[in-house]
Amino acid sequence: MNSELLEKLSECVEFGKINLLSPYPPQMKGQPGADEITKEALESGVTPTEILNDALIFAMNKVGQKFSENKIFVPQMLLSAKAMGASMVHLKPFFANGTVQRKGVFILGTVFGDLHDIGKNLFGMMVEGAGWEVIDLGIDVKTEKFVEAVQQHPTAVVGISALLTTTMVNMKPVIDAIKAVSPSTKVIVGGAPLSADFAATIGADGYGKNPQEGIVWLDKILA
Amino acid sequence: MKEFIDKILQSDKTLAFPIMTHPGIEALGKTVKDAVTDGQIHFQAIKYLSENYNTVACSSIMDLTVEAEAFGATVSLPDDEIPSVTGRLLSDAESIAALEVPSLEAGRIPQYLLANKLATEAIKDKPLFSGCIGPFSLAGRLYDMSEIMVAIYIEPNGILQLLGKCTDFLVNYCKALKACGTQGIVIAEPAAGLLSGDDCMLYSTDFVKRIVKAVQDDTFTVILHNCGNTGQCTQAMVASGAKALHFGNTIDMEDVLNECPSDILVLGNLNPVGVFKHGGAGLVRIETKALLAKVGKHKNFVISSGCDLPPHVPEANIHAFLETVEEYKN
Repeated sequence: MNSELLEKLSECVEFGKINLLSPYPPQMKGQPGADEITKEALESGVTPTEILNDALIFAMNKVGQKFSENKIFVPQMLLSAKAMGASMVHLKPFFANGTVQRKGVFILGTVFGDLHDIGKNLFGMMVEGAGWEVIDLGIDVKTEKFVEAVQQHPTAVVGISALLTTTMVNMKPVIDAIKAVSPSTKVIVGGAPLSADFAATIGADGYGKNPQEGIVWLDKILA
Repeated sequence: MKEFIDKILQSDKTLAFPIMTHPGIEALGKTVKDAVTDGQIHFQAIKYLSENYNTVACSSIMDLTVEAEAFGATVSLPDDEIPSVTGRLLSDAESIAALEVPSLEAGRIPQYLLANKLATEAIKDKPLFSGCIGPFSLAGRLYDMSEIMVAIYIEPNGILQLLGKCTDFLVNYCKALKACGTQGIVIAEPAAGLLSGDDCMLYSTDFVKRIVKAVQDDTFTVILHNCGNTGQCTQAMVASGAKALHFGNTIDMEDVLNECPSDILVLGNLNPVGVFKHGGAGLVRIETKALLAKVGKHKNFVISSGCDLPPHVPEANIHAFLETVEEYKN
């Protein structure tokens, strides 16, 4: 029974079935979604850790893989992330009381001067789906705000996003300021105009060409 | 359209058409904000580039906020960065239903029409292509880009209604640009490249087709630009009916040229950031030569930047690009 529920939940997340009312995907219309199945699973005695590891992380890993192979695209990925979010709502109390341990804290923001958020949002959802606690600082994030967040969460990893060629250069002062107060803090950068070479020249520890690459990098630094 | 396309198809040389206006703005000592708010400065930038670079055509600014601003979206206009839409104008079916299609007097639209009119009056030796945003990219700026990606599955009817209104406006705008005397338009539809091929067809191509049908003829060519396409949207782009397609640097141009009919112009796709902006002239030459060696044999290929050149591209790099194309011809 429990494994069946975990399998159903995993399927909801993989295919983006948020809740009963959601019309997507068409083949699951009228069926319960991640929201209802998570609730049912918890009531049936499935542990929050099992839900996180065996359904959510498992499904989002498949989603990330399919995205990197061009088998699905941004809308499908966002719907999967929304379904995962609907499940996560039920797990929040267990994160708060320590019943479920996450992999770490990930601080995320779009660099100052840049108002774009789709890449940041996508990556944030994938990181959360990979088992991290995500602190999203939003868009146009000033250096001081990143530094303040690192000081509040000294073991966190930081992700900085930029879409514009004019704002990608703002990443270096942010990284410099973070490293000045916390030299061991790892920073990953991403965004359409960036490259691995550029990331290296500004002192970033990691670069994600796509969300899945970023997740692989995060897993590596934990190993 | 016929004259421009015939010139390229009949040429025994590969021709160059980098999409650029920022180098002209910078050469005049003006800021991006100056150019996107003042049609006279915008025109002077186009004219400067037309006179100083040997390109097959010139283009006006690819400002992907001017149409959204006309609808009422708030726009951030930094001095020396490209403008951005801030906030979210529409959030549900009711706000979409209440949205009115703006007139061509709204926002900065009159300044863009002025720039195009002045440019066509002053530039007689090469065609000028106007610029506008594509319907899906415009709808995303009004509804929020992340939200529209989800809404096409959750609230598809509302999004189709929004796309209809965006297209009504774009048809009017493109007709007005055509009336300025320009020889064509670059429709920038980058957000459609985030969709699957089928979704691109449904939420972008079907609406781009309406614009193409309204303005494309023997005197006016539509260039459909989609730099987000990694290959999945190419057939949807072809289906738009646009006689020229422009591709970003993430796609393999050999694949594209093999996939597109030979009577459609295919433009692309040197990396505007990694090569033109951050590479030196040496890298520009290497990458230009490599692309020409790979696809220069195709008569319908026009070498271009994969997107419009961003601010602060070194002039030497643009010269290196054009010189390399010229050397290849000879």
